[in-house]
Amino acid sequence: MGSVRRGLIVEKRIKLFFFLVALLLVFLTITQVQNMLISTLFAVVTYNLLAPVVDFFERRGLSRTLATVLPFAFMTAGVVVAVVVLLPSLLDQLRSLQAHFPQYQKSALDLLHQLEEKLGQTVGNGTTLPIQARIEGQFSHLAEVVFQQAPEYVSSSLAILFLAPFLSFFMLLNGRDFLRGLLSIVPNQYFELSQNLTHQITSQIGGFIRARLIESIIVGLLTWAGLEYLEFPNALVLAIFAAIVNIIPYLGPVLGFLPVLLIGFSGGGYSSELLWAGALFLAVQVIDAVILVPFLVAKIVDLHPVVVILAILVGSQLMGIVGMIICIPVVASLKVTAAALFRHFTGFRSSQDLII
Amino acid sequence: MTDFMWDNFFRRNQNEKDLARVLQKNFLFQDLNALELHLVERIVNIRHYQPGEVVFRQGDVGVGMYIITKGVINIYVEEIIPETGAQKMTHITQLKQSEFFGDLALVENNGLRSASAVAQQECELISFFKSDLLEVTNRNPTAGVKILLRLSEILGTRLRQTTTRLSELNPKPTPTGGSR
Repeated sequence: MGSVRRGLIVEKRIKLFFFLVALLLVFLTITQVQNMLISTLFAVVTYNLLAPVVDFFERRGLSRTLATVLPFAFMTAGVVVAVVVLLPSLLDQLRSLQAHFPQYQKSALDLLHQLEEKLGQTVGNGTTLPIQARIEGQFSHLAEVVFQQAPEYVSSSLAILFLAPFLSFFMLLNGRDFLRGLLSIVPNQYFELSQNLTHQITSQIGGFIRARLIESIIVGLLTWAGLEYLEFPNALVLAIFAAIVNIIPYLGPVLGFLPVLLIGFSGGGYSSELLWAGALFLAVQVIDAVILVPFLVAKIVDLHPVVVILAILVGSQLMGIVGMIICIPVVASLKVTAAALFRHFTGFRSSQDLII
Repeated sequence: MTDFMWDNFFRRNQNEKDLARVLQKNFLFQDLNALELHLVERIVNIRHYQPGEVVFRQGDVGVGMYIITKGVINIYVEEIIPETGAQKMTHITQLKQSEFFGDLALVENNGLRSASAVAQQECELISFFKSDLLEVTNRNPTAGVKILLRLSEILGTRLRQTTTRLSELNPKPTPTGGSR
């Protein structure tokens, strides 16, 4: 009996070792290979967006391969149409934004200078607040990031553009088999726990990503339509930016409005155009909070606002704006994992609620 | 070398056939056609247990059921004797090839296992978990409904058996109330 027990322990250790090595290899590949982290993130988002469509086609009797190829064909066609229709306008607006940036910067700094003077007078005699000097440095940094580093991002984004769909295609086609293969080397003792954890994390994060993405697309479309109606300059670029940063809870809507504020001030202070744009952003946020969030996002990932804020702070410190966007799904996964582990290891052993 | 490759190729096919045969013989999957069975085959996991190895423990969170393809599984209930505080293992039943256990976990939400399952000899089990049932239902709702109907039948039969046993324990009907 003793030799059997020793054999079991050795087998368990070997399996656990191979499972951890496999996990480590996956982690290292994602984090260390160039462009792999961003490509994987995009692939996960695409996977979660298309998985219900693939399942739908499969339910209609198509094979898994055909059910995966079809949505990809539709998506590619959609991207091509969007690029053909929107890219010229988007490039024009980006060039115009780049050309006018010094003017926007100057107007905003003038306004801040006036504000600084007024505040100085209000606070006390001769007191000066160094707001302008601080913000000026931030503006220069922002311009450098947006207009000088952007081409570098574009060159790496070409790699991402090919790698992300490639990864998501195989995630949809064989992702479950891959996970099953990975779980097959988990020792028997941890098999039920790992299977349960994988299911909980994938279903919660999948729902969260889909909800947030649909929410952002609707926010972007509403903002674009509104800004075009107001004939606000660079409406498409501003709407895309607002849609992307809207993913960041609480802070996103404010960040999305900042460029609008900057452009609005270049018109010489509080113009009616700026006020209408402000009202538009407010209305979109009300629609988001009253209609979209309760229907799409609420109850999918239940995190306390303080946890959300702390997660955003940590995310921004570690990875900047990308960190702010991905921190919530990461924290949600950690919460689901911790809750499942806690339940598994501390489950009370009373006769109540027992099943076989 | 070539023989080795062909042997493995056919062994794989043989394993798949074995799996299909075991699943088709199981009460839960009896109504599935070949295509639906193939989907289940691709979703389930096959696990191997050494003699004395625990499949699950009483009090663990239950996530699914197991079908025995090879070997024997013993089911035990752990009890604590109030007088001494010592733990006592009571052998409940022995399950053999083609039998299954843990099926209630497919419908319970975070319910706890009421007994422990331990391999008596080298065992091969097919695991079918709640997440697998959800995946089958999502990808092929007809197959999902067929499995769920069979599962309901099992649970209904168990409920009737339990009611009958309870009636046998308390044979005298109350004068005012009748049983349904």
